[in-house]
Amino acid sequence: MPHLNELYRVAARLLGDTTRAEDVVQEAYLQAWKSFHRFAPGTNCRAWLFKILINTIHHYRRKWLNPRLVTDSEETLEQTAAAAPPIPEHITEEEILRALDRVPADYRTAVLLADVEEFSYKEIAAMLNVPIGTVMSRLSRGRRILREQLSELAQSYGIGRAGEEGRGA
Amino acid sequence: MNVIRFEDAACGKVRGYLDSYLSNELRVETNHEVLRHLESCPRCAAELSVRARVRTGLQAAVRGTSVPDGLEGRVQRAVRAQNRRTRAGLYTMAVAAILIIGLAIVSLRRAKTGPEEAILAKASGRLALVLNVGLRDHLHCAVFRKYDKAVVQLSPEFADLARLIQARLAGDFRIIQGHRCTAGGRQYVHLIVTHGDKLLSLILTRKRSGESLSGGVFQEGVDHFQVVGFESHDYLVYVISDLDAQQNLQLAANIAPAVREYLAAHAG
Repeated sequence: MPHLNELYRVAARLLGDTTRAEDVVQEAYLQAWKSFHRFAPGTNCRAWLFKILINTIHHYRRKWLNPRLVTDSEETLEQTAAAAPPIPEHITEEEILRALDRVPADYRTAVLLADVEEFSYKEIAAMLNVPIGTVMSRLSRGRRILREQLSELAQSYGIGRAGEEGRGA
Repeated sequence: MNVIRFEDAACGKVRGYLDSYLSNELRVETNHEVLRHLESCPRCAAELSVRARVRTGLQAAVRGTSVPDGLEGRVQRAVRAQNRRTRAGLYTMAVAAILIIGLAIVSLRRAKTGPEEAILAKASGRLALVLNVGLRDHLHCAVFRKYDKAVVQLSPEFADLARLIQARLAGDFRIIQGHRCTAGGRQYVHLIVTHGDKLLSLILTRKRSGESLSGGVFQEGVDHFQVVGFESHDYLVYVISDLDAQQNLQLAANIAPAVREYLAAHAG
């Protein structure tokens, strides 16, 4: 089936649960099958499938997840994401995924779609049903939060606590 | 909270572009501006390196997530199952549509043909076709035809039959009509009898190929009519009334010997 693996991986990262990711991917393909008549030939099938996946995830997130896990306010994030701390030289994939999972869902979605799946801002805006400016804003903040989460790893390794140039309290 | 103190405003501006630079999303002029700055600023170059490393690491980490072996098969089965359900749903809808259209046609036919055909339509499911033959004439000629029930109209050719039958009936049964008639393309000998407000018919018609009541006396009810049928001398004989089933059967039993006697004498 086309793009199944990509859809599953994004779903798993957005939901943080592989079983639910399987359910959501299955549901997304069922939805795609039912609404295939709405797919415009010649357009990007992969983007269309991802849009269905994102909608399905939003639906299931409302059903499954505790609302506090869904998103933080952008104002709060603005305050907490103001630094660009050092990131460990050697980070494992598991550490990156753990840091990614700590990025609030809306920003994590933008980061995954742009930096991993390499969709354009315009395609992401259509998938998320938000303006392109919102996509850019979420992406910028999502990347910054990801780096911040990775920097916490650095601090846990004892990196950057002393002698860092250009840093202060 | 950690706060960066950038070297100058240029670093802050360029670092704002670094992710877009990595994604190759900057306009040509901005791209050149970033490149020029990176050549002269090792801190921003290092920051670019870090971001590139995070980006590459992120892609590798997410793309390296293993996909369950059975997922594709599971999704395919679900899609096929839905396909079957949808087809079954369409089939059900088609059947329902056909039924609705069929009911509408039946209703229209009943509206067009009136209560006689409606009763016959109802009877066809409950009465053997051969019993329906008699009911058709009863409805057509005795029940729904307009005639004066107070006037006796007895064709002379059926005077003997009328006399034989009347001899078998109680005094309050009155033969008001004796005639030949046609219903549904078939000829009948028809005696119409009244009993108070009840209406009875004795009907004889020649058997056609495949029609048979030789197994005995049959009775069936439909609507408020009772139909008794039996066979005599190549004729189908019917006693039909709006009496109750027992009364109608008794009436048929009473007049059957007279019918046989008449047909023995007259059937050719």
